[in-house]
Amino acid sequence: MTKKVEPVAVAKDKTLHRYLSKPARVREDRRFVTGNGRFVADLTPSGTMHIGLVTSPYPHARIVAINVEQALKLPGVVAVLTGAELAKATEPLRQYIDVPEVQWRPLAVESTRYAGEWVAAVVADSRALAEDGAELVVVDYEPLPFVMDPERAAQDDAPLVHPSHGTNVMVKREFVWGDVAANRARAHATTKVRTRWNRNSTVPLETFGVVADWDQHRSVLDIWASIQMPQFPEQIAGALRIPTNQVRVHFDVDVGGSYGVKRGIKHGVLAGFLARQLGVPIKLIEDRSENMHGGDFHGPDRIFEVELAYTADGEFTNIRIDVLDDEGAYPGRSPLQLAKPIGAIVGPYRIPSAEYNAIAVTTNKTGQVAVRGFGQSPTNYAIEAAVDAVARELGMDRMELRRKNFIQPDEFPYKIPSGTEYDSGDYPGVLDKAIEIANLPELLRECETIRAEGRLAGIGVATCLEPGGGNAIFENIMDPSTDKSTFPESCRIRVDGGGAVTAIVSISSAGQAHETMVATLVGEELGIDPDRVAVVRADSLSGFPSQSPVGSRMAIVLGRALHGAASELKSKMCAIGARALDLTPDEVAYCDGSVASVKDPSVSIGWDDLVGIAHRKQHLMPPGMQPGLEVMHVAHTPKSGTLTAPDGTVQLYPCFSFEVHVVLADIDPSTGKVDLKRYFIAHDCGTVINPDVVRGMVYGGTAHGIGVALYEQFAFNDDGQPLTQSFMDYLLPSAHEVPVIVDAEHCTPSPYTTHGQKGVGEAGYMGAPAAIAGAVNDALTACGAEPIHSLPIKPSDIWRALNARTPNQEGSS
Amino acid sequence: MKPVDFELHRPETLSEAIALLAEHGEDGKVLAGGQSLVPLLNFRLARPEHLIDLGRIASLTAIRRTPQRLIIGAMVTHAQAERSVAVAQGAPLMARAFPHIAHQAIRARGTVGGSIAHGDPAAEMTAVAVALEAIMVAVGPRGTREIPARDFFIANLVTALDHDEVLTEVRIVPPAGPTGAAFEEVARRQGDFALVGAGAQVRLAQDGTIADIRICLTGVSATPHRALEAEAVLIGHAISPESTQTAADATRDVLNPSSDLHATADYRRDVAGTLVSRVVKTAVQRATFDTTSAA
Repeated sequence: MTKKVEPVAVAKDKTLHRYLSKPARVREDRRFVTGNGRFVADLTPSGTMHIGLVTSPYPHARIVAINVEQALKLPGVVAVLTGAELAKATEPLRQYIDVPEVQWRPLAVESTRYAGEWVAAVVADSRALAEDGAELVVVDYEPLPFVMDPERAAQDDAPLVHPSHGTNVMVKREFVWGDVAANRARAHATTKVRTRWNRNSTVPLETFGVVADWDQHRSVLDIWASIQMPQFPEQIAGALRIPTNQVRVHFDVDVGGSYGVKRGIKHGVLAGFLARQLGVPIKLIEDRSENMHGGDFHGPDRIFEVELAYTADGEFTNIRIDVLDDEGAYPGRSPLQLAKPIGAIVGPYRIPSAEYNAIAVTTNKTGQVAVRGFGQSPTNYAIEAAVDAVARELGMDRMELRRKNFIQPDEFPYKIPSGTEYDSGDYPGVLDKAIEIANLPELLRECETIRAEGRLAGIGVATCLEPGGGNAIFENIMDPSTDKSTFPESCRIRVDGGGAVTAIVSISSAGQAHETMVATLVGEELGIDPDRVAVVRADSLSGFPSQSPVGSRMAIVLGRALHGAASELKSKMCAIGARALDLTPDEVAYCDGSVASVKDPSVSIGWDDLVGIAHRKQHLMPPGMQPGLEVMHVAHTPKSGTLTAPDGTVQLYPCFSFEVHVVLADIDPSTGKVDLKRYFIAHDCGTVINPDVVRGMVYGGTAHGIGVALYEQFAFNDDGQPLTQSFMDYLLPSAHEVPVIVDAEHCTPSPYTTHGQKGVGEAGYMGAPAAIAGAVNDALTACGAEPIHSLPIKPSDIWRALNARTPNQEGSS
Repeated sequence: MKPVDFELHRPETLSEAIALLAEHGEDGKVLAGGQSLVPLLNFRLARPEHLIDLGRIASLTAIRRTPQRLIIGAMVTHAQAERSVAVAQGAPLMARAFPHIAHQAIRARGTVGGSIAHGDPAAEMTAVAVALEAIMVAVGPRGTREIPARDFFIANLVTALDHDEVLTEVRIVPPAGPTGAAFEEVARRQGDFALVGAGAQVRLAQDGTIADIRICLTGVSATPHRALEAEAVLIGHAISPESTQTAADATRDVLNPSSDLHATADYRRDVAGTLVSRVVKTAVQRATFDTTSAA
């Protein structure tokens, strides 16, 4: 019935696309702009009870006793659950490295390991009453020694976060790729830069929320949650000790932002347990402070040392990256974020060998989780800081140094020392485009003018990769006993009896415009108007294998599944059409909804007739063919399916987007305030599916990167207390802080995807922190001050760097 | 982040409000715009049992000007005062400060009286009140009191208002003669509480020397700071680069700000001096323009 489906179409010329890359409305916008999104907080099944949380005031303490008597006496409070009770009835939450002695649970058992950790849950008629009840729970704590600094935590005599583990070091992996000794010997010099990427995260407008409802007669736990997480249903079922087919996660709720952080597994397990225990729907919506200090959603918190070896004329010969990551109290999934950058460990540069030493330690901070780029943006920042330092050492132009070391367009596919093959790229071409839109000579003049007026000014450049098409091979890299190599995505395409087309996916979306993407791709594949394609979301029980939108993978992997399903559908229609036209399937072709003779296209059968036969006319169908027009396709991630080789080489993600940032910073020398005067990005994510969606990603990611570079930090004081518990102290950039961003798209199609598309979900964020830090440091070094290598760069940091100049240096400004 | 249960009262007259405060004593709290109090309620840092909203008392929302006085009702919003010609003429420094108060949405609800009664030394209105020697009028069961700004702010978030008193109006003596004002802040983001803020209002004599000068600072001390030390340097003279520098240094010498996540004490002290010299220069320029345009 079906012919063999080509997994990957040859990338077509952009002009041949009918709907791809064309300006078109983003279908999700209408409901969000009119305030008609449907978020988990909007759902309150009848009889819902609400959770209030009792949290630890200490960074590390033994729980001596918990007295719930007064709380239970409060009218409206129906239950109080402690960690010990929950632990008896559930499995610990999943860690992704092999540390069974480190138990992570929704409610602390025996001791708390960070200020803000959940200790008990109060269930009441309203959230306000639950908070009243939580205040009445009396916990007797015995404070224990704690550690907040990752370098201190890595020392042998540091206080232990998990004494059962014997050390705070959770993972230590060392890699050497290529002939390091020879490449070091070839170098004339090396430059070392220590960089500090302080703790920040994506901080969505919507905090985490979940509603859980157990139907004891049908034996189904229904869950609505603001999630972006692979295997959420399986992990809920595992922790609650119920079969996976008794957990139904609904993906048709809007998720109010995520970029990695909407995991909420502990929230889901807690709400699911209470829903089963109490027999009522349970709702937990984090408030902002709970989210910030106890949501386990912080991002990477890293200290890097990058050593770049180079020849006298600026050719890079070897890179060594040492990184120490502060995971917070429970490692969870965060150590894996040290593995993803292995797939782009040399950036866009032709560096023949690399060393990578990665250590993950626990401290008494709230936990980390996946954040946009899964460790790539911090690594890009560290690499780019080293490249800028080499340029300063050599007195070379920073753009020319980069250009000299770029992998050239004719070298793709290009295998980097760590074993990953880059699919395609035109790095010099994208750099040229950035220089063109920035009008570089004019930008340099503007920089000089500002300096002549007595202010500080600097230009920043970053040339960075965005690996896309996420798979889970980093689990195998960090823990070789894990041999998971499959990370599929799937969809169903349905042409109903009325001839309408519906695409069904089983993922939730957090603002990535997947409905627009799916409709556009289905429209392109079938040659029909995307506006006529409905997109719906199946729940986890009625849906298909899906790993959720992580790692910039949906255009790539879901795109592949859509292509597979559309191809099977077209084959089926061709078989039906051929029979009706009295031809063989080889003699017909599908085109824009009709099936026609290849020889004589005037001999054809139209959409309605094909649909009619498939749904209602068995007598006209090819023998043995299933009725209806319904196909489902599950696709692997392109270029996946291999494990890490014994020599530590590995193919990570399949596709590599690229971006060049050029930014001009104007700095008030008296106050250290940075004004981003001009911002330019040239960006290449292969074939663009929807221009507005791509632009939105690039702008949003850049805004996020501006936050990281200048404003955002989850800080703690020496007593282990979180200092950032609201938006008064966690400073997200607003419209005032984000300048006009001028962007240009470049298109180097990927050979591994259906239409040449690559990932874009992390765009902008990949290079902005590096570029902005570069601009500030260009301004500082131009007036004789030392560069700053710690993010965020605050006005007082710049002021201090300027004041630390010797009088001689000041004279040079 | 839900407040502790409270009862909301919405009196229509001042006497009703005062009666309610008297009735509920220390369990009562006045709501005057809510831009600081409501977050405190949600964080459960403030836990009043009775909240007395002044929002329906029309008599507190007027701005009046007499030859001798500018009178701003306590419930005048920042947005209302920001647009007021009477305020621009009668209290130029205050007018210059409004754009620095948070964002438009907050200025639309927050009130001049609410901000002053809250007594936050990082806020603009408290500093302006001190600089302009405003008189705060408080009405309570024992009658009406007029409290000068220098006695009003006692400590961080502590004022001379008794718990049963309502701040009803703020009185300011308008400047007589060519006057200019300027307000500048350094905040990590536009609209944040400033790391340091400074304001100056200057009246010039016929000969261009400074006849009257008021300088204030935010964010550098437990109560709003009036930079008398800088004023002393400048009054009676025409400004020069040297004199503003001396004024800046004089300011730095007396300040003892604190460090936090967003800035160090040294930074705040140094930038305070820089801002003093900037606002003085700008205020004098504006006053000079005022002289020229009046002539």
